[in-house]
Amino acid sequence: MDIELTINGETTTVEAGSEQDLATVLRQHGHIDVKCGCDGGTCGASKVFVDGDVRMACGMAATEAEGSDVQTVASLGTQDDLHPVQQAFVDNFAVQCGFCIPGMIVQATALLDENPDPTEREVREALDDNVCRCTGYQKPVEAVLDAAGRMREEGVAADGGRPIGGEPADDTAMGKPADAGGCCGGGCDE
Amino acid sequence: MSDSDNASDLDDGPDGVRAEEEATGGTVEGAAREPDRKAPDEREAITTDEEKDDARQIVTGEARYTADYRDRFPDLAHGKVVRSDIAHGHVESVDTSAAEAMDGVYAVITPFDDVVPDTLYSSSGQSYPEPSPWDLTVLREHVRFVGDPVAAVAAEDPDTADRAARKVEVEYRERDAVFDPEAALDEDAPQLFETDDVENKQSGADYARNLESHFEGELGDVDAAFDAAEAGEGVHVVETEWETPYQSHCVPEPHATIAYTDEDDRHVFITATQVPFHTRRQISHLFDVPIRDVRVTKPRIGAGFGSKQEMAIEPITFALHLAAGRPVKLEMTRQEEFTALRFRHPMRMRMKTAVTEEGDIEAMDLYTLSNSGAYGTHGMTVANNVGTKPLPIYPRVPNVRFSGDVVHTNLPMGAAMRGYGAPQGHFAVESHMDEVARRLGLDPIEFRLRNAVREGDLDRSVAILKDDDRFERTIRSCGIRECVERGKEAIGYDDLDQPDEDHRHRGVGMALIAQGSGVAGKELGAAQVKMNEDGSFHLQVGGVDTGTGADTMFSQIAAEVLGCPPEDVVVVAADTDLTPFDYGAYASSTTYISGRAVKNAAEDAKERLLEWGATLLDEPPEVLDTGDGAVYSEETGNRVSLEEIGYEATYGDDEREHILGDGNHSTDESPPPYGAQFVDVTVNEETGEYDLNKLVFAADCGVAINPALVEGQIEGGEHMSLEYATSGGLSFDGEGNPEVQGFRQYGMPRTTDHPPMETILVETHEPTGPFGAKSIAELPTNGVPPALSNAIRDAVGVRLTELPFTDEDLRAALDARDGDD
Repeated sequence: MDIELTINGETTTVEAGSEQDLATVLRQHGHIDVKCGCDGGTCGASKVFVDGDVRMACGMAATEAEGSDVQTVASLGTQDDLHPVQQAFVDNFAVQCGFCIPGMIVQATALLDENPDPTEREVREALDDNVCRCTGYQKPVEAVLDAAGRMREEGVAADGGRPIGGEPADDTAMGKPADAGGCCGGGCDE
Repeated sequence: MSDSDNASDLDDGPDGVRAEEEATGGTVEGAAREPDRKAPDEREAITTDEEKDDARQIVTGEARYTADYRDRFPDLAHGKVVRSDIAHGHVESVDTSAAEAMDGVYAVITPFDDVVPDTLYSSSGQSYPEPSPWDLTVLREHVRFVGDPVAAVAAEDPDTADRAARKVEVEYRERDAVFDPEAALDEDAPQLFETDDVENKQSGADYARNLESHFEGELGDVDAAFDAAEAGEGVHVVETEWETPYQSHCVPEPHATIAYTDEDDRHVFITATQVPFHTRRQISHLFDVPIRDVRVTKPRIGAGFGSKQEMAIEPITFALHLAAGRPVKLEMTRQEEFTALRFRHPMRMRMKTAVTEEGDIEAMDLYTLSNSGAYGTHGMTVANNVGTKPLPIYPRVPNVRFSGDVVHTNLPMGAAMRGYGAPQGHFAVESHMDEVARRLGLDPIEFRLRNAVREGDLDRSVAILKDDDRFERTIRSCGIRECVERGKEAIGYDDLDQPDEDHRHRGVGMALIAQGSGVAGKELGAAQVKMNEDGSFHLQVGGVDTGTGADTMFSQIAAEVLGCPPEDVVVVAADTDLTPFDYGAYASSTTYISGRAVKNAAEDAKERLLEWGATLLDEPPEVLDTGDGAVYSEETGNRVSLEEIGYEATYGDDEREHILGDGNHSTDESPPPYGAQFVDVTVNEETGEYDLNKLVFAADCGVAINPALVEGQIEGGEHMSLEYATSGGLSFDGEGNPEVQGFRQYGMPRTTDHPPMETILVETHEPTGPFGAKSIAELPTNGVPPALSNAIRDAVGVRLTELPFTDEDLRAALDARDGDD
């Protein structure tokens, strides 16, 4: 069946079997940044934003995403213009094989949206269902804490000022553009 | 600081002195010609934290792994494997008709098809001829574990392939199975292999007893030493037993392969492999096609940890491709990774030592019984490393015996896994040594340092299973004592606060660690450097970056020699058509072997740079060097940029030359990196629950090339080691059916399960390594089980001997202790 949804800002119609999961459908349509590391809903590699909420794309039916706004890690930044969370992962050597990283960055971004100044414990709890085999989680956790610090300092929203999850840009704090004023440009409750 | 500088706990015995003299008598291959010992402030590129070259691709999701190449193949077929659901038996018939009748099914293959060779092979990605037995066929008519591949399907999409695979009907003639390695040795046990089923070059095979290999080696006279100890006074004999479970690699990217034949009729594999060149050779053997007609390429790999040192799925993918006549992609599911692929071998070990009251070890005797599972890949060689990795921590012990049996059972097959026998061996040896010290009333750390390796020691135990003494090695770099000193300080060894509650006790345990740097005498790395006219370089190297950052490390080594920034070195790696040969990424060989080949290639190119610099500067090449993007004169300070040289060499009026460099490296050396693992634990005596307060790992990997990447290796290795100690393992029901099917059932530590980790790098200089480097990747997988066993012993006086340590085990041990009181 055909379902309509918005993927990284582009509204499109995709073909999806009734039992197909969203990760498989996204990958079939070229979104290879969505990784599949388990048989559904356990490893966290396929995490994306669906209408602003973090979901494991492999753990939800594609049909459930009908009409949704889906954002993958590719929406956050480019290699020349990384999102602060991506930049912190690069700078802190938080990537090794990298297979789990797209899902981890999506989750970390969501955390910093909600909580711009998390404790290490809060970072660990947020990433607890993101499985990583290479890093011992040490440098990814350090990267998220570093990203939080950078974003507070720079006063940018956790999403780098870009709207996430299809929320109207002026409707929620996290959707505010970076230069919208206020105390931190949208990353806090102000 | 080297060990010989660290005088505090040195106690040079006669053996140490002799070893020292012998060490200075020989010359180290390559050491004389490479004045590469650089002080930290003289290094331009090697010890900087250079950004990992694929990091930006990864964080933006643009990095391409094997399955991401699907969009390059519009007519791609998707594979699915049909696996045995019985533990032991023979395939009587396979009915493929229902599957073949389905729309969108391109091919169904069985062991009886012509495109499926019945040639024997080993899936181990080892050197040629593989030490592992040739005991596999592509699909199995004789199935030996639940999960053995029996048939496979190629279809237009994964769902169709899955549905078709479920419609393949297999009839078996079932046979009795055996699941316990000791029971399997019984002459009445079900026999997995007839001798004719296998080509086995390993020592001591006896398939009537399911024995894949038996091996033993001895230095001195161990029985005499134990007899003397039993008869005399002042020498204590301690014997202990240890057991370890299956462990899954949990590779983030499940195994994946795309196989196709291109317009030149060459067979191409895009595959997640650690061993492209071995895979090429083994495919050639198995399908009887010339090596030159096979191309194996490796894109980004979602890690390997040894599981991708196996040609595990390439043959089925290729057979499906031949049958379907179109490109085929085969991806494993996580369930297949947990049930049918490859694992760390479970083992039972026995360690016995004779030790004087002062703490000198007179004799060591280590035995291991390894459960190889259904097939023999890496069976003997992994078991060999149970002894040959940890025993060399104590190279001056005069009497040493090491023996083992490697046994088949109807369970999944063990294989290479990061550490390669050393995690099992360190658990036995380093827990044993701690136990000895405590029983003798000695300080466990002092006892071990008294006997532990020093720079200049002649290590014969590493070659205890060889009949060729060229594999005995002199230890030229050893920072093990500084690792211990700094680790003690970081963990607070001498100043440990106890909890206020009476039933909670805190303890610290330590394990000494050693590994190797490549397989001694069984490695070859090669590289080529070619200069671009803008002063940048292409580095073509056979070495395989499995996600570790090896490509970045290669660029740093080349840059240090060539005098350019690492980002000016473009790395082209691990493609059997485009790059020089390499044995592959295993045995901690990449920095030491492939990295040294890169250095040699860069030095070869540098000679040409200096010649061109000499011409352009009108000075002799002997006074020139490279650095800061130029060739410069150490006498006049004059300089000519690499870009000027590049353009002049390429487009000059008089002479022209493409500046190239070749490098090879092979060696009998495999210098051990060293480490000390510390664990701080608090045990609740009432419940048996324990909390890890902190892990500290201090590592001597020689000169750490890209220290941030090295730290990442240590933290990731400790993660696996933590799992091995606390939560990993597979279980099976009484019929050999796997009970762990995915991450939900498997105890892989999550972020919140990790205690704080502190990593310490102790620099030594290994004269045979590139710029003084040794390996790091496997070293940190060895430490947590013994260090935690020792920490619990320290905290509450009980000894846990079976991995993983559960709260119930600890509670039972505490009950037994209190019952004995």
